[in-house]
Amino acid sequence: MRFFQELTKGFWKEIPPFRLVLGLCPALAVSDLCSKAIGMGLAVTFVLVCSNVLISAMRNVIPPKVRIAMFIIIVATFVVIVEMVTHAFVYPLYQQLGIFIPLIVVNCIPLGRAEAFANKNGVMLSFADGLGLGLGYTIALFVLAAIREVLAVGTIYGYQVMASSFKPFLFAKEAPGAFVFLGILLGLMNLASSKK
Amino acid sequence: MSKFLLMVISAVLVKNILLAQFLGNCPFQGTSKKMDTAMGMGMAVVFVLTLAGAITWAVQTFVLEAFDLVYLQTIVFILVIATLVQFVEMFMKKAMPPLYRALGIFLPLITTNCAVLGVCLLNIQYEYNFVNSVVFSFASAAGFGLALVLFAGIRERFAISRIPKSLEGTALGLVTAGLMALAFWGFTGMVKG
Amino acid sequence: MSITPIIIAVAMMFGLGIVCSLLLAVASKVFFVEEDPRIAMVEEALMGANCGGCGFAGCNAAAEAVVAGKAGANVCVAGGPAIAARVGAAIGQAVDLDAEPKVAVLNCRGSYRVNERFDYQGIQDCRAAALYWDGAKECGMSCLGLGTCKSVCPFGAIEMGPDHMPVINTNLCVGCGTCVKNCPHHVLHLETLSERLLAFNRTDECVPPCRQLCPAQIDIPRYIRYIKNGMPLAAVETIKERNCMPLSIGRVCPHPCEDACRRRFVDEAVNINHLKRYAADIEMYQGPTLNIRVARNTGKRVAVIGGGPAGLSTAFFLRRLGHSPEIFEMMPKLGGMTRYGIPEYRLPKKILDWECQQVVNLGVPVHYGKKLGEDMTIQSLREDDGFEAIMLGIGCWTSSAMRCDGEDLPGVFGGITFLIGQGLNKPLPLGKKVVVIGGGNTAIDCARTSLRRGADVTLLYRRTRKEMPANMIEIVEAEREGVKFHFLAAPTKIYANKDGNAAQLEYIRMELGEPDASGRRRPVPIEGSNTIMEVDNILSAIGQRADLSFAAKEAEEYRVETTKWSTFAANEQTLQTNIPFVFTSGDVFTGPQTVVKALGTGRRAARAIHLFVTGQEVTAPPSELLKPTPEALIPHITGVAEEPRAHMPELTIAERSLNFKEVELGLKPGQADRESQRCLQCGNVCFDQSAFDELFVEA
Repeated sequence: MRFFQELTKGFWKEIPPFRLVLGLCPALAVSDLCSKAIGMGLAVTFVLVCSNVLISAMRNVIPPKVRIAMFIIIVATFVVIVEMVTHAFVYPLYQQLGIFIPLIVVNCIPLGRAEAFANKNGVMLSFADGLGLGLGYTIALFVLAAIREVLAVGTIYGYQVMASSFKPFLFAKEAPGAFVFLGILLGLMNLASSKK
Repeated sequence: MSKFLLMVISAVLVKNILLAQFLGNCPFQGTSKKMDTAMGMGMAVVFVLTLAGAITWAVQTFVLEAFDLVYLQTIVFILVIATLVQFVEMFMKKAMPPLYRALGIFLPLITTNCAVLGVCLLNIQYEYNFVNSVVFSFASAAGFGLALVLFAGIRERFAISRIPKSLEGTALGLVTAGLMALAFWGFTGMVKG
Repeated sequence: MSITPIIIAVAMMFGLGIVCSLLLAVASKVFFVEEDPRIAMVEEALMGANCGGCGFAGCNAAAEAVVAGKAGANVCVAGGPAIAARVGAAIGQAVDLDAEPKVAVLNCRGSYRVNERFDYQGIQDCRAAALYWDGAKECGMSCLGLGTCKSVCPFGAIEMGPDHMPVINTNLCVGCGTCVKNCPHHVLHLETLSERLLAFNRTDECVPPCRQLCPAQIDIPRYIRYIKNGMPLAAVETIKERNCMPLSIGRVCPHPCEDACRRRFVDEAVNINHLKRYAADIEMYQGPTLNIRVARNTGKRVAVIGGGPAGLSTAFFLRRLGHSPEIFEMMPKLGGMTRYGIPEYRLPKKILDWECQQVVNLGVPVHYGKKLGEDMTIQSLREDDGFEAIMLGIGCWTSSAMRCDGEDLPGVFGGITFLIGQGLNKPLPLGKKVVVIGGGNTAIDCARTSLRRGADVTLLYRRTRKEMPANMIEIVEAEREGVKFHFLAAPTKIYANKDGNAAQLEYIRMELGEPDASGRRRPVPIEGSNTIMEVDNILSAIGQRADLSFAAKEAEEYRVETTKWSTFAANEQTLQTNIPFVFTSGDVFTGPQTVVKALGTGRRAARAIHLFVTGQEVTAPPSELLKPTPEALIPHITGVAEEPRAHMPELTIAERSLNFKEVELGLKPGQADRESQRCLQCGNVCFDQSAFDELFVEA
């Protein structure tokens, strides 16, 4: 039951980067195309799940004084693995995401969860927490990317959804659009949850 | 010389790391609520980023490439930056208390500021030499500081504005940053490439 | 596949790790700096991710802010409630190191009563509204009512009440001060109980006229409101934040507050002082006795010389602040001039005993029979007994000389000496015909006391009734009881009879000439109008002065500077003398004055001593309101229905004769309720039009 709760909280109640205002940079940078968003989301999910599980398993042997340094190293290790795997098997995605893969290290989500959750909870719960938040992040990125991609290119995940007469709205693709749409989405989320 | 000038203008205005490259957004939203905090953070980033740019370049060239360990780049860089930041903080606290009071409290933020790691990685990606790396690091950080200070100026005005409840805080901050990014977008074309 | 690259990689990471950690370990030793341990505790509790989402520069800065009280336990937005609970636990301990929690307090009570100067239609935010001519309200220090404090409160501790004024939920308030910083009219402030005890009226605070004129600065509308709501003990608690002797003051105060009461522009002033007595009497006669809150012990020892109202007040407030005052009293009982100068029929001794005992019960040791200059000196207190500060509240115990021939004859007493004898239950022998000289309260007390001892009393005063410094009510009562007044007459010579006792008083008639420095017309003798009257005793009550003879026994560096009126010279606002650790208060600083004034200066001395012993700079109270503000004293009274003032029930003249029973009997409950509703609950400029029929729900 608890496992299920921890899993689903990431989909709405604590969905990053909206509820948990963490991990903004990659959310802005990779949300212009759905493919990038999903790639990024899955990469973060992988790192989050692995680091959560490992840290949770080691929580009793990590000395509290150096825990932050340990967390960073552990997260960094998994990030390097992700980096290598994408480099080897999905090279186009590796190129698209660029430096945002190594930057998962300093994205606050894995570190924050390590400290706030994995450090105190069992392996199974930490796994659920990591998976839930990771998938939630993926969903959030996908929604944002879908909006931007439809407006900027007229496609979702590469499939044409707009009529061919559709004039691309370039603003949505560029940096300013990323900020504005993320802001508006965040505002809408606030509105929706305050209505409840 | 003109090469450096161009590089600085490009990094500060055209490819502002914050507004065009999305690096360093968490502290950007966090420390921009007040003008003096923004100033302090901006200065601290300039200081650390310049140092980190130089050191990571050295590590990359003399350690990683020399031993053919480039795949460890991420983990080594983050380690080096974290150590550097901690070291600088301790040093400043002891040796330069006035400077520490002005900047020091912002230093811990910088470890997890993706702008720092990001720029260090970009230095390597662009295959800059040592001098270029330092200049680029400095200019990027200056761009970050500029955007931060401008943004804080705008945010201070929010205090007396009527803001829809659901847009308060980060949401409006992001939209505002978007409008600022639009303004910076106007610089595109000033510098080629 | 070769194993070498793996070994290199591992060795490289290992080496780098060792180098980095060694560097940091060495650096942390070399660059070690002391830091508040609580910051580390809070930082430990925070996530340490340094993401900056909180608005502070990293977790260390956030921890510092939490410890400094600039942020609350929920500072970490990323951590959520779990982290907040941990930080809370950490500052729970951290707060424990502090004495008391801070809570936001609303200063304004009547913004809804204040008229609008103009119609404000702009941004619905107090800060924005205040930019236009300081806000639309007529009162410059009233709540603007747009709720900025509510919107900025990070803890949801502020709600806007039905009258558009904030209501602070003290359970949720953590004292972060965000509301205080954002309120443009400074209607909110933060305080601990100790800070409230030390506060003096401020220029930027809403102070109604009665509070401006009260020498003890009691929050009068507040305690009257408590009485109105049937909470007399809460009223006493309010009074005791300023005045430790409500029973005595409620009986003897000349109540300057009532002279400022706005109600007097409608009918008569509210009977403020007797309401105080009413509440205090309930505490004493019906109980339960208030449990006075005392801050945590600091162990700072302070010697309070003199157990009169000034000394009691200083000791009371120092004790409440957690210090350890000790009173040195030369007489066998506490109370000073309130005991020995005020006769039994005005202030019964058993009431005074009870009241002094309340101060002692807080844990204030009293050394009886110890006189400065004989049993100890400032030097011995400081050097041998180790007191960190000394308060001199030795009062004015010597009668001033009349400067006429024969004043040393037997049968001529100082008025105060006579009253002290009365107070010690060792009355001086008194003949049939008594003449009292003087026009102050002491003279009246001497006259009424002599009357009760069966004498025929004449009071001689060199000016007229109008110029008499005694309280008008006292003069009237003395007249009713049968004291004969002889105005415009001054003694010139006293003749002895054959036994050498005073027997005849020669006096000269006076007329009023030009006004002198005090604004009263100077009496001028009429040449050749000398008259002789037969007397048995003469009581000289023309003034009192301090006995400063102890100074001769002090070493040079422990000699306190004095003025030409034989009072101590000290800073008006801090009461610190030329010796930094010596403070003064009461009559010995102000000259003979009222009890309430002594209490007020006693609290002022307590504040300065608190600053001194806690190692802070002894400065004047910040932006203190030194003279009454004109806008508060100008009457703006319309639309209030008339309602007569309650009058104190008292003994008839016949019941008073030849005994010392208390004359005033105290307001009856119904009377007090009605009287408390007459209070207009004024603010600086505002007041309640419908005071009488409106019952407050909020306390």
